[in-house]
Amino acid sequence: MYASKIGLEIHIQLLTNSKIFCGCRAAFGDEPNTNVCPVCMGYPGVMPALNGEAMRMAYQVALALNCTPTEHTQFARKNYFYPDLPKNYQISQFGAPIGTDGYLDIEFHGKTRRVRISECHLEEDAGKMVHAGDMSLLDYNRAGTPLLEIVTEPDLEIAEEAEVLLTQLRRMVRYLAVCDGNMEEGSMRCDANVSVAPEGAPLGNKVEIKNLNSSRFVRKALAYEIDRQTDILERGGTVSVETRLWNENRDQSEPMRTKELAHDYRYFPEPDLPIVEADASFIAKLSDAQVELPQARMQRLKQVHGLGDRVVELLCDEKETADFFEAVVAEGADAGAVASWLTSDVRKLLNRFEVSLAASPLSPRRLAELLGLLQSGRIHGKIAKQTLEAVFTLDDDPERIITEKGWEQIVDPKALAELAVAVIADNPEAVAAVRAGNAKPLGFLVGEAMKRSAGRAEPRALQQALKDALSVEPLYVLDFGGAIGGERRPDGMVQPGTRKEVKELLAADPDLPDSIRFDEITLGGFLSEEISPRDWAQLVSAVRYRIEDSSSGVVISHGTDTLAYTAALLSWVFPDPQVPVVLTAAVTPEKAPELMRDAVRAALQLPPAVHVVLEDGTYPAVNLRFERVEADAARFRTWNATGLESEQWPGFALGDASADALTARFETAMRQVHIARIYPGMRSESLVRLMDAGYRAFILELYDTGTANLGHSPFGLRAAFEEARRRGVRIFCTSQQEGVVDFQSYVTGHALWREGAVPMGSLTTETAYARLVAAMVCMEDDDEAFASMEHRGSMKNE
Amino acid sequence: MQADWNTVLATAETLKEYRAGVEARDKDLGAFLHFSPSISTEAENPGSASAISGLPIAIKDNLAVTDFPLTCGSRLLEHFTSPYDATAVERLKAAGASIVGKTAMDEFGMGSATDTSALSETKNPWDPNRTAGGSSGGSAAAVAAGMVPAALGSDTGGSVRQPASFCGVYGLKPTYGAVSRFGLVAYASSLDTVGVIADTPDRLEAVFSVIAGEDAKDQTSIAAFSPGKPPVAPSDLSSLRVGILQADESDEPGVREAMTCVEDVFRTAGTEVETVTLPFLEYASAVYYTIATAEAGANLARFDGIRYGERPLYAENPDELVRLSRSTGLGDEVKLRILLGTYVLRSGFHDQYYGRAQRLRARIIQDMQDLFSRFDLLVSPVFPTLAFKLGRDGLTPYQRKQADRYTTVANLAGIPALAIPTGVHDGLPAGVQITGPAGGDYALIAAAKALHQALPPAAPATYPRIWS
Repeated sequence: MYASKIGLEIHIQLLTNSKIFCGCRAAFGDEPNTNVCPVCMGYPGVMPALNGEAMRMAYQVALALNCTPTEHTQFARKNYFYPDLPKNYQISQFGAPIGTDGYLDIEFHGKTRRVRISECHLEEDAGKMVHAGDMSLLDYNRAGTPLLEIVTEPDLEIAEEAEVLLTQLRRMVRYLAVCDGNMEEGSMRCDANVSVAPEGAPLGNKVEIKNLNSSRFVRKALAYEIDRQTDILERGGTVSVETRLWNENRDQSEPMRTKELAHDYRYFPEPDLPIVEADASFIAKLSDAQVELPQARMQRLKQVHGLGDRVVELLCDEKETADFFEAVVAEGADAGAVASWLTSDVRKLLNRFEVSLAASPLSPRRLAELLGLLQSGRIHGKIAKQTLEAVFTLDDDPERIITEKGWEQIVDPKALAELAVAVIADNPEAVAAVRAGNAKPLGFLVGEAMKRSAGRAEPRALQQALKDALSVEPLYVLDFGGAIGGERRPDGMVQPGTRKEVKELLAADPDLPDSIRFDEITLGGFLSEEISPRDWAQLVSAVRYRIEDSSSGVVISHGTDTLAYTAALLSWVFPDPQVPVVLTAAVTPEKAPELMRDAVRAALQLPPAVHVVLEDGTYPAVNLRFERVEADAARFRTWNATGLESEQWPGFALGDASADALTARFETAMRQVHIARIYPGMRSESLVRLMDAGYRAFILELYDTGTANLGHSPFGLRAAFEEARRRGVRIFCTSQQEGVVDFQSYVTGHALWREGAVPMGSLTTETAYARLVAAMVCMEDDDEAFASMEHRGSMKNE
Repeated sequence: MQADWNTVLATAETLKEYRAGVEARDKDLGAFLHFSPSISTEAENPGSASAISGLPIAIKDNLAVTDFPLTCGSRLLEHFTSPYDATAVERLKAAGASIVGKTAMDEFGMGSATDTSALSETKNPWDPNRTAGGSSGGSAAAVAAGMVPAALGSDTGGSVRQPASFCGVYGLKPTYGAVSRFGLVAYASSLDTVGVIADTPDRLEAVFSVIAGEDAKDQTSIAAFSPGKPPVAPSDLSSLRVGILQADESDEPGVREAMTCVEDVFRTAGTEVETVTLPFLEYASAVYYTIATAEAGANLARFDGIRYGERPLYAENPDELVRLSRSTGLGDEVKLRILLGTYVLRSGFHDQYYGRAQRLRARIIQDMQDLFSRFDLLVSPVFPTLAFKLGRDGLTPYQRKQADRYTTVANLAGIPALAIPTGVHDGLPAGVQITGPAGGDYALIAAAKALHQALPPAAPATYPRIWS
């Protein structure tokens, strides 16, 4: 076993108006050598004059990184010759930097870590040398722009953590408005030190990696370097101390210089600048002016508004978005609604119109107004989206847009009741059928009423008006296959079957209110074990339709074998269904009548959510485990019930894709996700073959709280994990036992985490699989879907 | 009757006369590297408020004057013209003075006889076989030979005081930070000062009061000196407490005689006088050369031929360009000091040399503070010899560096020191320096005024005063 240690040196370019030691503009992209003067060109006789703004920004970052601010900070000369360095020494700091001994907390795949910041120091940037043919050209525009170098202790373990740290730091400096954090353009730059040594041994030889100009390169280069050093050590070799350059075209690093050629920078105190006093009142003033930092803000938004981790992260990624969110909420809009609109529809429109939130025609007031219209029922979801888009194209208020466009719905109960009465009077046959107990003609009546309102009636209110006028409560029963809807052949075997008339089945039930009307929809005609992506798409589409267009509730008859998967899937795609959705399953057709009665009763009584009704009671839809204990006696149990409560697993928004489109999405998703169970003979090779075949994600069922053989033998999983990491294939880990997978308890578990395994916490394999499929179906971006598989149940609040 | 300095640039006629006079005198002296006086509008208006209005002033060639050369006595900058004014120069111009030329110096200020200059070696106006001193030898000779009434120099380890003393004129090394260094080509930044050389203490004061004062472009400049200060009255010598440095028998007789002469003036005036010793004096030169060369190594690194300065016509790559520019552009003494500076900062030896020198410097600062709690000023020699001979007959390089011990103390301690002429010994001017606590520049000038009355300086016979 080897331990890796990574330390980072991050340079951020401070967004001052002028350079750090002269009055030249600190701007980028101007004509070469236009923002220069004798001072930044290093002319004879000139002297540096420190820019107070750079000083202030530097202290701000140091404070945000929890550093102890240095009271008497001093500059030093770092001597080295390079044509782009005008004075052939860089004014930097050594010994008395801006701040020391700070930290930044990060989290990767459920594991939190405190990364110590050894120091932050201020320095000047160099110019740029460009080689053109047999000439070397120099542009000094950048020379003298202020840089803050942030040096971490070697507290990071894996490449992904470095990437997380950079992302977090980028967000922080953008919040502080001291740097734009753009690695591609070089306003944030990273060098890394990597050393690998056997577990428990002292720190290994240090290799510095340079030229990491995107957070993706940082991840790739560091993973490459850890592998490279581990390989050398495994073969009995010694890692040489050197500086290596990351070659992004070849995906490998190359030696740049060895220790023997290392620079002797001959630091000494800069005599041209006085020691700068940062006294208590200066620090206090800065602390008072400090903006709320992203981590604190995320925590607050979670607590105050009860939002999920991922949503909060999306909202808080840019300060602008978080500010906007809070401004809309301050206008009185519902936080949950604002969050979901901002992170989905608004975001899409911003991308489409290639505009920032601040520059867009959407103001907090306009979004609040739009959500108000939606909430009061004056427009419905589809019109709301249409109106949002119109705000972007017309730059007008939602209220005025819907008035001018005639998009406002009829919500007045009196008007709708009149409409209902008129439709009832004109359609005696349909009305008679409904009164006879059939729910199906209800849809027809709604359609008729809608036609009369010229499509402007608010659908749910209209349905309610009709239901009230008819005194009925429609309940939908979906037959999704399984023995409950099947029948037993004369030879005793169960086959998918001719459906039973639930209405008849329940006709005699005295417990059911008279107002209940049934509508049976058969989707299945298969046994539970025969479910395909298409079937799931059909089911999801049908449930969505019934939730929107009915009703008092939806009952789904299902088989037992795959019930755990389907139940979880529905709960992920319908996190907030507005009506109860009840799944039920029986092992044999004989038990069906009784169970169906229970399910219907549950649909009338339980709160709006996805439930599972079984012979022995009602279960939540997630983490259901099918444990048949004896013939004809299905037993289900909820695994890790207590663990689940402490973890946050928010559901997804399904959207309005058609059934066909959903089928395509389910097929695509399910083609890429594979469930694998580890066992003593499992070979890495088989997982790699599956990756070759196009699988991009695995639900890997480990032992206990997340252990596996991670050895190098064919039966160890190391090769599979390495390959997965290289290809960007995700491995989400669950347990074969009722164990919470957090990788915290065993060395082997930690090793898995190091290799990139994502712990699924309390989730069972079925639930995790259903979640991943649901995420991939609901989200356009697979990376977003993968991100939603991360849970922060274990994250400590800082 | 001598003509007034303030009028020499007033008309085309006086200018012509002035130019011809200076050119004739300088042919043998080599004090100027560049001389281009022009008519001064200030000189046409004698009513101007400033004491230096219309005054022709020479500037050492390591101080930037817009559109004037800025060679620093180096081959590498032989054709370099400054695009800007040093703050001190800017202030002189603003006060109505006229910059007439740039004076010779040791290359980048590294020397004590202007003989490390790649461009001109200055002769002493008192004796053409002797040096004018250095590194501000051109400025001192220009004043002593009556070519200008005042000149700016720079003093890093004695470079204003030693040539002033060798030439028999007044030379002030101000408190560190009293005059902005912006525009002074750095040799050793923590020791460098812009100094004044003048024919009289009054003139010296007039120039100093114009250039002194805080400058935003030099954040090491101090606020204690505000421009526009009224002239100080000569000191009442009897009220001073004076320390006299114990004589060193190895110093030349002329040097010791000057010390005795000044002591006598004080004693005659009834001044409280006490002989003192400076135990650290034997380390001063070593500490000075360690710190100065360390800083010089960095300060001179910018002369790489890339952005300005002489450079080869062709180089294979940037590295070679830098190497060739420096090896052909810089002189031996400069190379020696850069190498020394690199050596003393080297990793692993940093503490042994640079670190130790800094600790000793801190001690010297402390000792001088203690000294000035007991005395108002200290009288000491400027240099162990009077103006020495040019060429091989002069001092060896090692002797010269050792000889800097008296002057370097003020630079290491950041305190003001003023070289004053005391008389002529065997045809050569002799003098002493008076040193005071930080910020005591005007007190030194007041003392110099009093001593000036007692010991009026002479002019070299071959260069009689035309203007005064």
